[in-house]
Amino acid sequence: MKKSMTLLLSLIFVSSALLAGCGGNNNTSTTNGEGNKTGTNTVEATNAPATEEPVSEEPFEMTIRHTQVGADKQKRLAILEDVVKKVEGDVPGLTFKLDGVESDVNRKEKLRGEMAAGNPPQVFDLFGSPDSKIYAKENKLLDLTPILEELGIKDKFSNLDPFTYEGKIYGLPIGGSGEGFFYNKEYYNSKGWKAPTTFAELEQQLADIKADGKVPLAAASKAGWVPLMLANHLWSRYAGPEVTAKFATGEAKWTDPQVVAGFAKYKDWVDKGYFKKGELGFEYAEYTTQFTSGEAILLYDGTWKSSVFKPGQSGEGLIGKVGFFNIPPVEGGVGDQTALMRDVNNGYGFSAAVANDPRQLAAVKSFIKNLFNEEMQLRGLVEDGVLPAMKIDQNVLNENITDDLMSEIVAVLNNSQSSFPAFDSLVQADVTTEISNIQIQKLIGGQTTPEKMGEALQKVQEEANAAVE
Amino acid sequence: MNKALRNPVVFTLFVVPALILFLMFFIYPIFSSIYYSFTSWNGVSATVKYTGFSNYTKAFGDERFWISVKNNGWFILFSVFIQVPLIVIFSLLIANVKKLKGLYKTAVFMPSIMSTAVIGILWGFIYEPNIGLFNKLLSLVGINPVYWLSDERFAMLSILITNAWQWTGFYIVMVLAAILSIPGELDEAAAIDGATRFQRATRITLPLIVPIISVVIMLSIAGAMKAADIVIVMTKGGPAGSTEVMATYMIKYAITNFKYGYGNAIAVLIFAFTLVVTVLYQVLIARRTERVEY
Repeated sequence: MKKSMTLLLSLIFVSSALLAGCGGNNNTSTTNGEGNKTGTNTVEATNAPATEEPVSEEPFEMTIRHTQVGADKQKRLAILEDVVKKVEGDVPGLTFKLDGVESDVNRKEKLRGEMAAGNPPQVFDLFGSPDSKIYAKENKLLDLTPILEELGIKDKFSNLDPFTYEGKIYGLPIGGSGEGFFYNKEYYNSKGWKAPTTFAELEQQLADIKADGKVPLAAASKAGWVPLMLANHLWSRYAGPEVTAKFATGEAKWTDPQVVAGFAKYKDWVDKGYFKKGELGFEYAEYTTQFTSGEAILLYDGTWKSSVFKPGQSGEGLIGKVGFFNIPPVEGGVGDQTALMRDVNNGYGFSAAVANDPRQLAAVKSFIKNLFNEEMQLRGLVEDGVLPAMKIDQNVLNENITDDLMSEIVAVLNNSQSSFPAFDSLVQADVTTEISNIQIQKLIGGQTTPEKMGEALQKVQEEANAAVE
Repeated sequence: MNKALRNPVVFTLFVVPALILFLMFFIYPIFSSIYYSFTSWNGVSATVKYTGFSNYTKAFGDERFWISVKNNGWFILFSVFIQVPLIVIFSLLIANVKKLKGLYKTAVFMPSIMSTAVIGILWGFIYEPNIGLFNKLLSLVGINPVYWLSDERFAMLSILITNAWQWTGFYIVMVLAAILSIPGELDEAAAIDGATRFQRATRITLPLIVPIISVVIMLSIAGAMKAADIVIVMTKGGPAGSTEVMATYMIKYAITNFKYGYGNAIAVLIFAFTLVVTVLYQVLIARRTERVEY
């Protein structure tokens, strides 16, 4: 009997421990629930003064989920750490816990799981489109509009569209980027060339580089987004910078002759052997290596790549030997032929639950104030090559930029009269999947024609447009 | 028997913890997946909309899904008809070596303890078009470089070879254990009767290890149906979706695009297909080879 009793008690203990372990911490969901009780569709950051009661100095912790992991993001991490120190100084009792996670893992797995469970970190790395809109629709994000108005920085950002849902702002871009050609100046000088000013001149240079036995354009298309940077810019040159935004509304079609002309030009360059052979098997990392090793003379990439050409980085040997230019105007192309592809799609978002805790809300305000200001934006530009997401006076920019390559990049930005975002923030996810994973690789592999590619994309586009949410 | 264990209450209580774990981590996820497969849940929303069989009809009507099913089929065929015979041959060879048997066992087992990411990088170098081992060897006999991972004709084969390399050693150790557990007298008796080494291997050893080969085939089929990591690491499903398998299709076309309802439908289909293939194998082949009497 005694033995049975012992066994029984042991089992009860084990079962209790198991069940206790399975129980969730309902604190977050409770606060979420309260947040929703307000009856509003979005959880707003109220401006109610938190000073009516004495401010508590009880220690409390908040988590920042960032993606500044790895050697090449150390400078950006240093900026974040400096901001964290300032905020901790501003808000009594606050300790920030920095949770670094690889960007794709955070975006596609961790944050989504936390959002579904209702327990995201208070501050997290967030993608603007489509992620922030999906989370905002489900009341998972803090409405930042009142905070930005209070801090007086609502109009200081160059573009908040990717983070805006139903007129409210749910996230802030940490920086921006523009896409264009990096070129090997040393090689260009040896040939007596300059950055091309016409499309014909660019094509002639590509042909001459090829004839010289060099690879004209670096290429690594294992991931579809890499070749699509250039393809996107080409179809926007031929069909106009606004064309991509019109696919989702049905005002334009992927089969439009000018769009197809963009695909055809890309295919033409593939057929002429301007890209590194075997590109469908190469990773993005090899893209940079082809250029830094001198094998490829041109590299079409985002301005973030400029950070590689700094001391201690993989492109150190090319410091002072790299230039940057925009795709020259295409003869007969539609719309602004100086338009530059620019993106501000990555930044920070905040959990909706923050609105229910005045101290956390104060911390978020301080975080925004200390991170999104001229000083930090300039640090990002100078130290890390990330273009400012906020509007900064040209004179101030000129004073701070000492790097030749960055000066060229800024000059290219200033010379472009308009900009347009990359296709993946303008079309539905199904269309992005189709063009990134299938169509662009088929075009490169010679398994489709520009016309058939347009038809295949239009079919998916129409299904996506017709889909009822 | 222990007095306490004769008491049905105590007996039941012993079973309960395991039963709870089984329900929580196996039964519940399966039913939850089946439930969500009939919805258009986006993975975030608190509200879930019932959509009937639409996710399933979408999958069955999608050419890309069938390409991925076909590629899983290639995994199975390659495992059963190429990998398993190699496993048996290598096992028989290693079992008969007199010296350094431990070294051989360790060497063949090594790839199976390596991370798939590492193997992907390692084989990425071997398949590299300019400096890779394979193309260097081909160039010795005057064959032009082959773009192993970027040419649709070779990409799937390249993955299958890498996957086989990774797992062959693991199965060799299993088969080897079965060979070494065969009583030595059988082999000795056959040798006294004048059987050659080859005859002993094919007439004595091989029939006695058929049950373990059957298990190896079963495990290979199950492994082939859930293959994903090696594809992601080596080709990301490309070029142009030609190496997509069901699991990568699920990630790419459903999970990444906030279509968790559709993703769950694909997960259910993977489960169902695996179940059908393994049950068929069990019923048609494995049951006949279950027992061996010495």
